Amino acid sequence: MSLYEQIQEIRSVYPPGSRSAVLPALQLAQEEHGWLSPAAFREVADALDLTPAFCKSVASFYDMFNLHPTGEHHVDVCTNVSCALYGAQGVVEAFEQELGCAAGETSADGKVTLSTIECLGGCGWGTIVSVDQRYRRGVTAKDVPGIVKELRG
Amino acid sequence: MSSPEHVTLTIDERTVEVPKGTGLVEAAQAAGIEIPVFCYEPRLGPPVGACRMCLVEVEGMPKLQAGCTMTATDGMVVKTARSSEKAADGQNSTLEFILVNHPLDCPVCDKGGECPLQDLTFRYGPGNTRMNFQKRTLEKPIPISPTIALDRERCILCYRCTRFSEGVAEDGELVAINRGSLSMIATFEDEPYRGTFSGNVIELCPVGALTSTQYRFEARPWEIQNVPTVCGHCPVGCNISATTREGKVKRVLSRNHPEVDEGWLCDKGRFAYGHLNADDRITDPMRADGLRSLEAISWEEGLDEAERLLRAAGSSIVTALSGTETVEQAYGLAKLLRVGLGAHAAVLPEGVPDALDAFRAPLSSIRDASTVVILCEEPVVERAPVVDLWIKAARRKGAKILMELPSAPIAGSVLITDDADAAAWQAQELGAAAAVYLPRTPNGRGVSDAWSVAADGEGADGEPALLIISGDEAAIDPAVRALAAQAETVIGIGMFGGSFAGLCDLVLPGTSYLERDGTTVNLEGRLQRQRRAVIAPCPDELAWISKLAERFGVELSPYSSTVFEAVSAALYGGISYGEVGELAPLPPRAEATAKVSKPANGNAPEGTGLRLLTYRPLFSGPAVERTPELQFQTPQGEIEITRADARSRGISAGDHVHVSSNGTTVALRAKITQELAAGTVRVAGSDAAGLHSFVEVKK
Amino acid sequence: MARPLVVLKDSGSKDLTKLADYESVGGYQALAKARGMAPAAVIDELIASELRGRGGAFFSTGRKWSFVPKLDQNPNPHFLVINADESEPGSFKDHEILAEVPHRFIEGCLITAHAIESKSVFIYIRGEYFEPWEILVAALEELKDRPEIRGDVTIVVHRGAGAYICGEETALIESLEGKRGQPRSKPPFPAISGVYASPTVVNNVETMATVPPIIAMGAAEYAKLGVENSRGTRLVSVSGHVANGGNYEIEPGVTLKDLLYAPDLGGGIPGGHKLKAVIPGGSSTVVLTADEIDVGYDFDSLGKLGTAMGSAGVIALDERVCMVQLGIRVSEFYEHESCGKCTPCREGTRWMTQILRKLEAGEADESELDLLLSVCDRINGKCLCPLGDTAAMAVASYVAKFRDEFIAHLNGGGCPFGDSPLEGVLAPVAQHAHALRPVFA
Repeated sequence: MSLYEQIQEIRSVYPPGSRSAVLPALQLAQEEHGWLSPAAFREVADALDLTPAFCKSVASFYDMFNLHPTGEHHVDVCTNVSCALYGAQGVVEAFEQELGCAAGETSADGKVTLSTIECLGGCGWGTIVSVDQRYRRGVTAKDVPGIVKELRG
Repeated sequence: MSSPEHVTLTIDERTVEVPKGTGLVEAAQAAGIEIPVFCYEPRLGPPVGACRMCLVEVEGMPKLQAGCTMTATDGMVVKTARSSEKAADGQNSTLEFILVNHPLDCPVCDKGGECPLQDLTFRYGPGNTRMNFQKRTLEKPIPISPTIALDRERCILCYRCTRFSEGVAEDGELVAINRGSLSMIATFEDEPYRGTFSGNVIELCPVGALTSTQYRFEARPWEIQNVPTVCGHCPVGCNISATTREGKVKRVLSRNHPEVDEGWLCDKGRFAYGHLNADDRITDPMRADGLRSLEAISWEEGLDEAERLLRAAGSSIVTALSGTETVEQAYGLAKLLRVGLGAHAAVLPEGVPDALDAFRAPLSSIRDASTVVILCEEPVVERAPVVDLWIKAARRKGAKILMELPSAPIAGSVLITDDADAAAWQAQELGAAAAVYLPRTPNGRGVSDAWSVAADGEGADGEPALLIISGDEAAIDPAVRALAAQAETVIGIGMFGGSFAGLCDLVLPGTSYLERDGTTVNLEGRLQRQRRAVIAPCPDELAWISKLAERFGVELSPYSSTVFEAVSAALYGGISYGEVGELAPLPPRAEATAKVSKPANGNAPEGTGLRLLTYRPLFSGPAVERTPELQFQTPQGEIEITRADARSRGISAGDHVHVSSNGTTVALRAKITQELAAGTVRVAGSDAAGLHSFVEVKK
Repeated sequence: MARPLVVLKDSGSKDLTKLADYESVGGYQALAKARGMAPAAVIDELIASELRGRGGAFFSTGRKWSFVPKLDQNPNPHFLVINADESEPGSFKDHEILAEVPHRFIEGCLITAHAIESKSVFIYIRGEYFEPWEILVAALEELKDRPEIRGDVTIVVHRGAGAYICGEETALIESLEGKRGQPRSKPPFPAISGVYASPTVVNNVETMATVPPIIAMGAAEYAKLGVENSRGTRLVSVSGHVANGGNYEIEPGVTLKDLLYAPDLGGGIPGGHKLKAVIPGGSSTVVLTADEIDVGYDFDSLGKLGTAMGSAGVIALDERVCMVQLGIRVSEFYEHESCGKCTPCREGTRWMTQILRKLEAGEADESELDLLLSVCDRINGKCLCPLGDTAAMAVASYVAKFRDEFIAHLNGGGCPFGDSPLEGVLAPVAQHAHALRPVFA
């Protein structure tokens, strides 16, 4: 099924005339392209009878949309208060060391995009690291080389 | 004690009674009290309460309230900054936060001197700053289009501009991106903000964040004069203020006529004033000099030459009018030609039906329609832009929009039609509460009526010896040019050499609507007054027409006020020039006409493929061509096609497509529209050269 | 300590993510019972139970439902919107409910839909909750061929995309409508004009999961639990410097001290450290000192101390933690999450962070500490929604209760803490600037 058709299917779930399908459509487009390129915005806008400007306005409000190309894998380290108390900063620095890139960047081999992220909702199980959307609980700096190795395959 | 329709409340210990449903800001205004605002602008839809400038104390509520979001209720007790320290502190806080990262570059800001942020800071703000960090700096100014510059440092994120784009113009091009303190106004990928009404955001901006590139560094507010007049570009006749400095028009602003334009103005009306200073502006009489060029001659020579050509032609004269003339110009010209020479024949680009006078209503009534029926081949926005905003307002209010005549009458419906022949029948069939005909010309109605009442007599048939072309619009009309080819001699009256070169034996200079006094009649039938904003670089038409008329024994005043008296006696119930007013009223409705029958259905086009409709783009014509900043708004080779027709051909928005008929193929870009019936496509006339009325569209 | 289980009942012994297991412990019987009652009777039952919303505002759930106009008063359809956008730092209880008892949650949604006469339920789940989303979708999938359970109600799961502010109900509605998640000004309240301009009830996940047990056991029985003004049970998230971080279902009245120290709850402060401060209800709440924890974990008791249960996220901080750094990290969070709509929050949270950083660096004097408090004061009470207000209140409370610590930083003092775990923590709001500097010089 083309992206256009998938979006029409999502659209049908919501009341006619509403724009509710924007977030799910952007999510689909991002899954397909890895990030939301100008072309992806045009595609989504066309499928929803909206302007690309509107779609980008919405997407840029939310943290989970990538407005720039990213690596194959996403590592998001929660550095909010609870995780920080468990040593999240050490985890971030271990990833930076291991990946050779700063948080907010992608490793040179294009494999991993490293980010810090606000509270992931696993406060009692910190440090929480979300690896491709799946949470790893109780991560410490020691665990980082293993995770990176796993992602680099 | 309030009546059922009214509520009584107390604001700063003043008691005020207002109609139920009145907003608190307006209620305070009624009591002579200011509740300061930035984001609040009722024309943009429901209040959003974003800027927090309007904080007031309301009895019974522990926290300060955003006054702009509140409705006056009976017994409400409100304290503004005048009487409440808490409210004053709240407003002061808001201004402190707004100014924390505002650059305060007022000395070099075009808004300086007419800036709400300056004014409200003066009245409610802190006199000093406690911010000792480096202010946020951003690239500036960013041209969000050739006509609009964006300064993101000055922006206070009131979201007026984006609300206009989304909720009034509905173009969805100007948006906010990012979140929190990183939020900013933007277009998609820095593409220009292309939209018929984009310039309104400049006026909506309460700071100097969105400014006009044409006005940039051109004047300070204390050096300017604003002349209240009426736009002359289309039949709506939006009320405008022309800002002048040292005898030059520096900008055009909207001037809210609540029944006509609600304070909105299209970009042609706002930005096309650049044509006044066009390089090929004709300022002296010109005589043909060889095949393509014109040479300037003196006024004495010019009038002598005109007299000679007129005498030679006698009554064998046809006058091609543009429909852009004022009522007084048309009347003066008619007096000269019809009374002086018996030359009665005139052509206008269109007939303007008076049958809809029985359905007359202000344009604002479109907004309150239950159903809007649009029977127009040309896009409404291209012919009468602001009408499109009224239709959008109606749709937002819940009106149904139909693109064809329903089978049964609909109560409370409004008809909008561009079919002169069928208009009356359509309105009766629909049982319309109101109906509007969209003419092609700004003042076709006024010109035609003025011509008619100037004299009695019929024009003679046959090829004219002399053709008089009044106005640049007529001069570029192919039909008029065809007439010119048949005439022995041609006199032109107009502004630009480019319109007349190679066409005329003699050209007499014309003026723009910004340079003359007079009246016009808009598509509602509303008589409005144009006022001279700047002195033209040549005498205005009435001045020399009256001189010429004298040579033919016709008495004609050179003053439009005097000429108007005569026209008014015949057409407008004898009202005086002054009575036309700055916000002109709408004349009453005409008596209902007898039932008319369906006009014969001409030759309904038949063919295979998609039916091609063409239109004359708003952003075209002599004035737009002479305004470099508006070139980006001209149609960019687009074909409008319905979603269904596009998908069945595998076409998506923005695809390059081939449009062909009878061996002619044109490459255009597909634009998906919901405003066409299935089976039809629409292309700007300038892009449709060689295409027939049915086309094939392929990717 | 014996604790009654309501929300998480039987989740220890059964896999309640499975429909069969859930039905084996009486699952969906409360729904059948509720559907046998008139909608108004269900609402009365909820009012009698004294259940208050578990999202943070703590408003009577039954009364909230009762504000929805009857169908004959307002022709628009009614919507039930579930706020599963749990994002408050310190709270992860809804995460647990969705992952452990999804059917109880769904049953609550269906009962609520019946009570407010809604045929349409939207579950707005935060985008990062990918695994709970999978579990929830699987649970709904199990109901596909159980029309007697589903009834004529449509449930749509709508994923958010990463914005804390969407936990605010009107922002959530805007987001659900496909827009930027910026709060609306109220009134109109969602009960009158919510999603798609129709009457809407927005309820929290835990609230929903509490509804079936209330119907099953009866309001009177439920209201016997807890203390006055805080009836029933509460799922509390405990994290930070405690031995056993996790979610614990407690009866309000249990003290904050117990929550942190009881062996079957927080289990005490590890590593021989001393408790210094407690954030009692998520980062938006006023901090408590170690001396203030002998207080019942309930609405009234915490209210007397000027703080709140909020979304029941308890964060323990030991003596190593620098309160200025805590201020920075909390302020950075709100700066990052401010939606940008209203001025005080958008500009004020950024300014707060700037001043706090200067304080931490030892470059500020006492006037700037006063400036910080003044900025907080000028934000508080002026914003469109609670985000800015709570950011200002939380940070101001750190200064109020640990002023000496802030003073110690001033005039070149710098940070006196050598091993504060919050030192130099990279917040997302600072990430971009961080990525621009070379990491490996």
